[in-house]
Amino acid sequence: MKIVHIIAIAVLCLTALTILGASYLAPAGYEQQFRETPQAAPSTHHPLGTDDLGRDRWARLLYGMRVSLTLAPLAALFTTVLAGLVGGVAGYFGGWTERCCKLLIDLFLSVPWMFLLITVRAVLPLNVSPEASVTVTFALLGLLGWAASARVICTGAKELMKSEFVWQARAQGFSGFKLIRLHLLPNLRGALLAQFWISVPVFIIAEANLGALGLGVAEPLPSLGSLLRELQEVVTLRPEPWRLLPLVVLIVVISSFQVLLNKQEVRA
Amino acid sequence: MLRFWSWALLRLAAVMLMASFAGAMLMRVAPGFSSDDQELNSGLSAQSIQAVRKARLVDANVPRFYAQYIASLVKGDLGVSRSLNLPVKDLLRERLPVTLLNLAFALAVGWLLGLALAIATQTWNLRALTFLANGLSGTFISTPAAALALVFLLLRWSPAFAAALLVFPKIYRYAQNLLQQSSEMPHVLTARAKGAGPWRVLAWHVAPIALPQLIALVGVSISIGIGVLLPIEVVSDVAGIGQLAWHAAQSRDLPLLVNLTMVVTFMTVCATLVSDAAQRGFMRSAA
Repeated sequence: MKIVHIIAIAVLCLTALTILGASYLAPAGYEQQFRETPQAAPSTHHPLGTDDLGRDRWARLLYGMRVSLTLAPLAALFTTVLAGLVGGVAGYFGGWTERCCKLLIDLFLSVPWMFLLITVRAVLPLNVSPEASVTVTFALLGLLGWAASARVICTGAKELMKSEFVWQARAQGFSGFKLIRLHLLPNLRGALLAQFWISVPVFIIAEANLGALGLGVAEPLPSLGSLLRELQEVVTLRPEPWRLLPLVVLIVVISSFQVLLNKQEVRA
Repeated sequence: MLRFWSWALLRLAAVMLMASFAGAMLMRVAPGFSSDDQELNSGLSAQSIQAVRKARLVDANVPRFYAQYIASLVKGDLGVSRSLNLPVKDLLRERLPVTLLNLAFALAVGWLLGLALAIATQTWNLRALTFLANGLSGTFISTPAAALALVFLLLRWSPAFAAALLVFPKIYRYAQNLLQQSSEMPHVLTARAKGAGPWRVLAWHVAPIALPQLIALVGVSISIGIGVLLPIEVVSDVAGIGQLAWHAAQSRDLPLLVNLTMVVTFMTVCATLVSDAAQRGFMRSAA
C-alpha cells in the first residue's frame, strides 16, 4: 500500500474519531457565546479564536464536521437507494419501462443539478429552523443527485438480466422478488457501494457550496459549508489566516476520499 | 444521419420542456414560494401587501402558468421578469454573453491544462510530475466552487480562472485514465517494442483510440462548467446568468426562472448532442 493511501486512511480515521469525540474535544458548545471576547485571536481558551458573536471557532469546526460528515453519507445512502430503485427497475423490466426511466435520468442529467439545488433551496423561507434546514438541505442533495448513479445501475442490471445464470434461474422458475434478492442484488452490490462512496464527497462539496452562499444549514447549527461563510469577509483573511481552517479541513477530508476512490480500495 | 438529428432535435425539445416544467413545479411546491420579502416591509400599506399577495397568486397554478408561457414562447415572447420588471429577452441578451465568455475561457484553460498534464505524465512518466499533477487535481476537485471564488476574490484574480481550475481535474483524471488504458493495449506495446518514440506512439497509436471518448467528455465538461460558474458568479458578483438565476430564485421570479432553466438545459443538451454527433462521425470515418 502506498504511503498516500495510508495517509488518506489515517486522515479519515482521525476525522471519524474527531466527530465521535467532538463533545469531549470542544471547549464549549457550538452556540455558547463569550460576549466579552468577540472576534478574539487564537489563545489557550479558544484555539481558533472566536467569531463575531463570540462563539468558539474550534468548537464550531468540530460540531460542523460532525453535521456534514454524518449527514452526507446519509444523503448518499438515500441517493443510492433511489438510484438502485430507478436503475434496477429500468434494467429488470427493460422495454418501455426502461425507456421511461432513461428519459427521467436524461432529464435530471440535462440540468446541472447545482442549478436546481440552489434554485429550490433559495425558495425556502429564511426563518426555517436549523433542524429543518439541515434535513431539507441533505434531503435535496439525495433527491437530486441520483441520476448518474441510476444510469450505472441500469446498465449493470441490464447486463445481469442477459447473463447465463439469470437465464438458468428463470428457467428453473425463479421470478420477481426471489430473482432480485438472490441474483440481482448480490451482483449489483459492488456497483451500489461504489456509487455510495462516490456520492459522499460530492455531497460534502455540494453542501459546502450551498453553505458558502448562505443556503446551507441555518444558524446557529454549524456545518463545514456554513463555516465557509466567514470567508466572505475577505479583508480579514490576510491578518487572520486561521479563518481558512474549515476550508483546509474540507479539502484534506475530500482529498482523502478521492485518493481512496481513485484506487478503488473503497469499492472492493 | 438525418434520422439521428431528427431524434436529437425531438429529444432536445422534450427535455427542455420537461426540465423547465419540473423546475417550475419544484419551486412551486417549495414551502417558501407563497411568501414574499415585501410582505415584511413595514412601509407598505395593507392594500399594497394584498396586491403583492394577489400578484403571487397569478403564478401559483403552475400548469396554467406554463401553458400560457408556452403559448407566448411560440410567438417569441419570453415574458417579463416580475422582480426586475424588465423583458426576460433583454435580460438574457445582456447576461448570456458574459456567462458564455467565462464558460469558453474556463473550458479552454481547463482542457488545455488537463490534457497537457495528462499527456506529460503519460509520456515522461516522471514520479515528481505525476505527484504534482495528482496533487493539483486532487486539491481542486476537493474545493467547493464558492470557496475558491472567495479566495480568488481575495487575490483579485479572474473568476473565470477559478472555474477553469475546477474543470481541469475532471479532464485531467479522465484523460489520464484513458491514455493509461490505451497505452496498455497490445498494438501499442508492440509499437513500443519495435522502437517507436513516445510522441509517435501517442500520435499514431494512443490518440486514435482515446479521441472518441475524449470528444464525448466535451459535452459533460460544458455541464460541469455551467455548474461551477453558478456559485462563482454569485460570489464574485459577475453579471451572468448564474447570478441572474440566483436573483430569480431568491425573489421567486417564476417567469425568469423557467426561461433560465430552459436556457441552461438547451446549452447542456446541445453540447451533449454535438459531442455525440462528433464522436459518431469520428468513429465512422475511422471505420
